Amino acid sequence: MILARVDGVIVSSVCHPSMAGCRTVICQPIDEAGRPEGPPILALDPLSAGQHQHVLISTDGSKTREYVQDPRSPLRNLILALVDEPARETA
Amino acid sequence: MRLGHVIGRVTLSHQDPAYRGGRFLLVQPFAAPQFAGAPMTPLAPGSSLVVYDNLGATHGHVIGFTEGAEAAVPFTQPTPVDAFNAAIIDQIFYTPPSA
Repeated sequence: MILARVDGVIVSSVCHPSMAGCRTVICQPIDEAGRPEGPPILALDPLSAGQHQHVLISTDGSKTREYVQDPRSPLRNLILALVDEPARETA
Repeated sequence: MRLGHVIGRVTLSHQDPAYRGGRFLLVQPFAAPQFAGAPMTPLAPGSSLVVYDNLGATHGHVIGFTEGAEAAVPFTQPTPVDAFNAAIIDQIFYTPPSA
């Protein structure tokens, strides 16, 4: 799973049917301190995360196919959790 | 899923029968500036790739494509595909935190 920050939304009218009707957000992968790591990626957003919200993204295609109920869906990234606050274990 | 600009097309003379009904696009993946609205040229750093497309994207379109095993899932029979075009993007609303 990837820790990421929601930075935007995309609009697409011509897309794979499994993607239609669900919000697709732009997520910037971040490390635990919140620094960006690599280019932004897109993820399906069933939990309607807010702007700049920290989220957990699953990269497991089978769970995404189960969620969109389409065994032929090419989708992979799905927002599974909204992070309230990172809990750091003090060493 | 990643975004990319369509910068060209790949035409095949002989192809796997499973590819019928689609075409291959040459795509340059986005880097952060492209999300903020940077134009197609100069091209973003990084290597471009060939994406299978059955939605009809053409030169200049922004597409969302998936890679890896999920790219071969939409096909009824096992197909050698690495990247699949899942969406033609109409609008991008990208507002990273200014800090």
